[in-house]
Amino acid sequence: MMAIDTEWRDYDVIVVGSGGAGAQAASVAAEEGARVLVVSKDPIGCSDTKISEGIATVRASGADDDTEEGLSVNLRMGGGDLNVAAITDAFAEDSQAGYDRLRTQGLRPSIDAERHTPQSLPLPLGGHTKRRSVGHKNSGIAFGHASWHAVIQESRIDYLEDAWLLDLVTEETGAAESAPSRRVVGGLVYDASRGLLVAVRAPAVVIAAGGLSTLFFPKTDTMRGNTGDGYAVAARAGAELVDMEQVQFLPFCLASPPSYEGLCAGEPVTASFLGVLRDRNGKIILDGVYLRTRAECSAAIMRAVEAGNGSPNGGAYLDMTANKKQPLSGPYFMRFLQTCLPSAYNNARQALGKAAGKCEVEWEVRPGAHYQMGGIRADEHGAAVGGDGAGDTALGIAGLFAAGQAMGGVFGANRLGSTALTENVVFGTRAGRAAAETARASRAAPDDAAFAPLIAETVKRFGQKGGEAGSALKLELQRESWDCIGPVRTAARIDRMASLIGEWRTRLDRVSIPVHAVWNQAFVEFAELRNMLETAEAVATAARERDGSVGGHVRLDGRNISAFSTPYSTVVRRDADGGYRVRRVARPRQPLKRLVSYKMQENWRKLQVKMLLMMPKGMQDKKLEKRYRAIMGASGKAPEIVPGGAEGAVGEATRA
Amino acid sequence: MKVEIVTHRDGEATVVDYDYQPRVEGERPMVLDVLLQAQATEMPDLAFRYGCRARNCGVCTVDINDKPRIACRARAREGDRISPVATLPVLSDLVVRRDGIARQMRGRLSGGAQGNDLNVEAPEAYHDLTACIECYACLDNCPMHARNFAGGLPADMPEGHELPDPGEGYRWGNPFSLLKLQRIRIDPMTTDAGREAALDHAMDLGLDACVGCPGCKCGVGIDLKGQVVGELLAAAGDRLPDGDG
Ligand SMILES: Cc1cc2nc3c(=O)[nH]c(=O)nc-3n(C[C@H](O)[C@H](O)[C@H](O)COP(=O)(O)OP(=O)(O)OC[C@H]3O[C@@H](n4cnc5c(N)ncnc54)[C@H](O)[C@@H]3O)c2cc1C
Ligand code: SF4
Ligand code: SF4
Ligand code: FES
Repeated sequence: MMAIDTEWRDYDVIVVGSGGAGAQAASVAAEEGARVLVVSKDPIGCSDTKISEGIATVRASGADDDTEEGLSVNLRMGGGDLNVAAITDAFAEDSQAGYDRLRTQGLRPSIDAERHTPQSLPLPLGGHTKRRSVGHKNSGIAFGHASWHAVIQESRIDYLEDAWLLDLVTEETGAAESAPSRRVVGGLVYDASRGLLVAVRAPAVVIAAGGLSTLFFPKTDTMRGNTGDGYAVAARAGAELVDMEQVQFLPFCLASPPSYEGLCAGEPVTASFLGVLRDRNGKIILDGVYLRTRAECSAAIMRAVEAGNGSPNGGAYLDMTANKKQPLSGPYFMRFLQTCLPSAYNNARQALGKAAGKCEVEWEVRPGAHYQMGGIRADEHGAAVGGDGAGDTALGIAGLFAAGQAMGGVFGANRLGSTALTENVVFGTRAGRAAAETARASRAAPDDAAFAPLIAETVKRFGQKGGEAGSALKLELQRESWDCIGPVRTAARIDRMASLIGEWRTRLDRVSIPVHAVWNQAFVEFAELRNMLETAEAVATAARERDGSVGGHVRLDGRNISAFSTPYSTVVRRDADGGYRVRRVARPRQPLKRLVSYKMQENWRKLQVKMLLMMPKGMQDKKLEKRYRAIMGASGKAPEIVPGGAEGAVGEATRA
Repeated sequence: MKVEIVTHRDGEATVVDYDYQPRVEGERPMVLDVLLQAQATEMPDLAFRYGCRARNCGVCTVDINDKPRIACRARAREGDRISPVATLPVLSDLVVRRDGIARQMRGRLSGGAQGNDLNVEAPEAYHDLTACIECYACLDNCPMHARNFAGGLPADMPEGHELPDPGEGYRWGNPFSLLKLQRIRIDPMTTDAGREAALDHAMDLGLDACVGCPGCKCGVGIDLKGQVVGELLAAAGDRLPDGDG
């Protein structure tokens, strides 16, 4: 007996995901006349986009002299030059138009009456060289409504929610060398609410399926659906992934109580002038926290854990009591802490209790996964590329596009704050348009035979026996991912991961899956686990290749890669036999003069910390009071920051 | 801590007793923690929805002792009974099919016609309504929504009635869909015609059910009665049989 039936459908464009990137890709493709199917495993609009802080980058929202070139260079300085210049240029070019698109879908910012622009936050924050971050009431939920609107209101879009894209279907093109040798002909979807497999024929697919942070659950602040599905299906289809070792961890996430585990409690900068990190014995393991990079903070915490001096839940203590105790500046500090990252402060207060909320006691913190900088290797239109340097679509896969967090090359080794929501709309729009164009140009009817093996294989999984539980295997994988390819890494750990992945792959075939077709949770766990294994292998392979620390990649057994060395990106690719290959592609470096000036700023900041700590107490307090006053101005409120943003980790601005 | 989890497979409901093991002393777990632990231990393929664990994504709603609650921020208590939300049809265990709600809004959102200048400030009320996380807690006890199920719940459809196909979008509305329409009405970018159209849609979805209804309760505290239903009733005025506007 067939456990699950297959329905066949035809579209021009499939969009995978209905977060910020997917919703825009779908609505633009539909406007371009394409028949679009959105496939979303969460309800429409439900995504990281919806649960974000809702701060977006809009060029020139705060200053007239905010040029496109300036923004593009800013992104690449922040990303250690691993970013692709054509892609950061596109980001800078489209940020305003993209943002206006969201406004036609109901996003309503406060308006700067004088400038007649969306109201930007009051200061050019941290790593941004200009004021250009726009905050929103109701945070990401406002963006969630816009995504929802974009999909629901457009009648040319069909959608399936509670539907998992399982794999892409591709075939040989038989084309000459100047064109891709493979092309997308569609995808296979598990529609859980109707209990069907849906075989969708389509000449173009946009992957907007978000990130991979669920590899590190519960040590993450993102949605559970971030199981790396987009990277995995692309890799299995033969696409290249770039910078996969670049996972951004926030250093100060909650370690307890369990219900709050992983949620963001603060950023380096919120530790403020006198915040330090301590191990379980009270020994200071990092001072001057407010000027450190996230990676430095994470490494200090994880080194303590490694040495057996970690806190009970595998973290360390963020001690801000010295800030609070200062007679003059103490009250200012509290105000600063409460206002610069309000959601994080609320998480901490609710989770850790009143005394912690008043900073009378230390906070137990631990890093948490937040964002994947790497992703599907694409050009500035989101089209899959291969080859050297910035890549070439002729060496990619025809009809395959990526947008949003799923796409790589935008942020390199580090993402500036408030840029992901803009990335969504800029590259969602571009990929949607390019996909519609591909569909228009495509004539060849797909060969249904290309779907057959995949369908047969999937149908067989329903009713698979073997005694393993997918949900339990997931938890095992998550624990090991944390230890081996998490916030700190060593060659030995990465190798261990690689061998474990081999074992898990065999166990995957023994996962028990009941036969029922409607919302089969065991099948869902299986499918996601399979993708997580694929993604973990991609991350491990890239992490092994990069033998020193840069950006989100911290190697305890390697040196720091100097900003002055020639930057390169890692590119991984899955062979037909399932093994991963890695290579390096060179990236152009910023002009030396720019790097030197950033380096000098870094040294200057380090000196400032030393001087502050050496000052007599009374003088220190007075000086700090003055500093807080300058930062918070007349409003008495600190400028808001975004978790993961450059302003949250001042030190990162210096990392070229 | 002992709780009951009501699971569903192939239309059959089963009550499973689960004994939650606190992970730290004195832990006061959320209902979602209980479900996660049950899945990690005794019930490996227990089906339930969740996303953010922080009351933002709106998908983890379940009934606790027959009242809809957001599982990631509802404390579990001894003896709690956790079941799927009763107002929507069950797919599996605690997972209900949600899409009949959003699908009823297809073709009803175009009221937001655009002017040329996007730099217009929205009123505070617009943001009050944007706080909606789409958790569907407000379907509870809504007579308008119940019309889709012959006045009751999907699980107890009377003889001779068929469950509507959610894939077509539900015929009758609910507080959430009214909220979406009212949000369009108070958007400064909406034209007068758009405002009228939104009201027509509210009428078509069954606004008359709100007349004399004690009102609806929002899972995140939005004043649905005042800011949504009240406003729409006032706007409809004489167009409703016993309108109070
Ligand atoms: C707590 C938090 C705060 C943040 N704050 C900010 C901020 O203030 N500013 C900023 O710029 N960025 C912020 N970010 C980052 C930003 O929110 C995300 O990077 C961005 O929203 C990702 O958008 P996306 O469209 O790529 O993916 P998502 O919004 O995550 O959407 C992914 C979609 O893909 C679907 N999907 C996944 N796999 C499949 C599959 N196999 N089949 C079908 N569908 C699938 C999901 O259901 C979902 O609909 C924050 C992130 C977090 C977690
Ligand atoms: S007032 Fe209207 S929307 Fe609210 S519960 Fe009653 S019938 Fe439903
Ligand atoms: S109106 Fe309130 S209860 Fe209803 S879906 Fe929105 S947030 Fe949930
Ligand atoms: S898990 Fe997102 S609201 Fe509960």
